[in-house]
Amino acid sequence: MIGIRALLASHRLQSVLLALAVLALWQGACRLFDISPLVLPSPDKIAGKLYTLVASGTLWPHLWATLVEILSGFVFGVLAGLVIGAMISLIPVVERLVYPYLVALQTLPKVAIAPLFIIWFGYGLTSKIVITALVCFFPILVSVVAGFHATDRDQLDMMKAFGATSWQTLVRLRVPSALVLIFAGLEIAAVLAVIGAIVGEFVGAQVGLGYLIIALNFNLDIAGVFAVLIVLSVIGLVMHGVTRVAARRYIFWIRRNEAPVLV
Amino acid sequence: MGKQIARSDKSGIDVVETSTAQSPEALIRIVGLEKRFSARSGGTVTALSNVNLEIQKHEFISVVGPSGCGKTTLLRILAGLEQASAGEVHSGGERIIKPRADAGVVFQQAVLLPWNTVLANVLLPAHLKHDTSAETVTRAERLLEFMGLKDFAAKYPFELSGGMQQRVSICRALMRDPKILLMDEPFGALDAMTRESMNVELMRVWSEQRMTVFFITHSIPEAVLLGDRVVVMSPRPGRISEIVDIDIARPRNLRSMGTPRFGELCDHIRRLFGAEASMVSAL
Repeated sequence: MIGIRALLASHRLQSVLLALAVLALWQGACRLFDISPLVLPSPDKIAGKLYTLVASGTLWPHLWATLVEILSGFVFGVLAGLVIGAMISLIPVVERLVYPYLVALQTLPKVAIAPLFIIWFGYGLTSKIVITALVCFFPILVSVVAGFHATDRDQLDMMKAFGATSWQTLVRLRVPSALVLIFAGLEIAAVLAVIGAIVGEFVGAQVGLGYLIIALNFNLDIAGVFAVLIVLSVIGLVMHGVTRVAARRYIFWIRRNEAPVLV
Repeated sequence: MGKQIARSDKSGIDVVETSTAQSPEALIRIVGLEKRFSARSGGTVTALSNVNLEIQKHEFISVVGPSGCGKTTLLRILAGLEQASAGEVHSGGERIIKPRADAGVVFQQAVLLPWNTVLANVLLPAHLKHDTSAETVTRAERLLEFMGLKDFAAKYPFELSGGMQQRVSICRALMRDPKILLMDEPFGALDAMTRESMNVELMRVWSEQRMTVFFITHSIPEAVLLGDRVVVMSPRPGRISEIVDIDIARPRNLRSMGTPRFGELCDHIRRLFGAEASMVSAL
C-alpha cells in the first residue's frame, strides 16, 4: 500500500494508462462501427498476427536482415560523419572546398537516390547498408561541424593562457565540447537509420521488414502490416534509448547542471 | 626619464601621476602602451592609449574604471592573450608577446572544464606541461586544502557553488607558482556575502604566497580594501587617469572598511569617476 496516489501521479504510469485507453477505444470503435479489417484491423487481430509471425518463425529472417542493415549502416554512416566532420572542422581548406558540396548533397532527398543504389550495389544487403549509412551520415556531419564551432571562447582563452598547444586544446577542450552536439546528432541518426533501411527495402529487396510490409500489403494482410510496424517502432525506440543512455553516461555534465548546489 | 611625481590634491591624498619612471624592482613595466581594434563598421577603435605603469614585486594593484575603459584589454595584454598595437610591455626584462609560465590568470567566470574533476582542473597547468608526478598531485591537493576545498577534490564543477568554483580556478592559477596573478573581476558574479569572504581569502593567499596581483574590479571598496595602489582608468580612449596610493595599514580585514580613511579614499576615487562622467556629458 505504498501510496496509490503517488503511483498514479508517476508519469510513466500515466503514459501507460493513456496507451491502454487509446487501445480500448480503438478496439471498441472497430467493434461498434464494424470497421473492415482491410481498412483498420482491431488491436487484438494485430496482436494475434504478431504472435503468428513470431511463433511460425516467419519474422526472424526479415528482422535479422533489417537489423544488420540498420546497425551496419548506422556504424558506417557515423564513422564517415565523424571523420569527414572532423576534417572539415580542423582543416580550413577542406571546409572551404568540400563543405558547400556536402550541404548541396544533403538537400537531395535520399529516397530519390535509392533506386540508383539498387542498380549500383544490387538487391542484397549492401545497397540498403549504403542508403542507411548515407541517411545517418549527414546529421553526424552537421553536429560534428557545429560541435567544433561551439567551443566556448573563454575556455579557449583559458587554455591559451595556461600555455596549451593547439593539439592539447583539441584533445582536452574542443573534442569534449563537441561531444555534446555529437550525441544529439547520434540520437537523430539512430532514428533515421531505421527509416533508411526501410526506404532501401521498399525500393527493391528480397528480404527484410520493409520487404515484408510490401508483401503483406500486397496480400491485403493489413493486420500483418501493423504487426511489422510495431516491430519497427520497437527497434527505433531501442536504438534511441541506447544513444540516450550513452549520452547520459558520456556527457554527464550536461543534464546535471541543475544538480543541488553544495554549500 | 621622468621620476614619479607625487602631489597632493584638495582631499589631501597623495596622487602619483602616470610616469615612465624606471625602477629596478619593477616586475612589470608598461611604456606608452596603445591598443587599437578594427571596428566592424570599418574604422578603428582605440581601446588603450598611452598607458604607462610599473608594477613592483609583491605589489597588489587594483584596477577600477567604468565599462569600456580597456581594463580587461590591459589584462589580456599582460596575460599575452593580445598584442599591443604600440608601446611595450615587459615582464622581468622580457617583452610579453605570448602567454608566459610565470603568470596565472583568473577570469570573470571560473572557466573550469566541466568533464574534469576539481583535482584534474587544478592539475591542468601541470598536465599541459606533461607533469604527472606524485609531488605535483600532492601540491594540488595542498592548494585545495589551503583554499578549503579538501573534501571536494573528486567532485565535478557542476556540483560546486559559484564561489567554490572560483576558488578552484584560483588554485589552478596558483598551480603554476606564478610571479603575477592576473585577476579579471573574479568575484563579480558572486553574491555580496561570498564576495566579502573571497576578499578575505585572497588577502590571506596574497600575504602567504607573496606574489604580485593585478586585480580588476567594478567595486571601489573592493579595490581600496585589497590594493596597495588603485589604478583608476577612464574610457574613450581607455587610459589611466590616476593612480591612488592606499595608505591603510596591513593586515587589513573587513573592519578596515569602517575606518574614516577608507571612506575618504573611496570618496576620492568615486569623485574621479564623477569628473569623467561630467566631462563626457559636457562634450
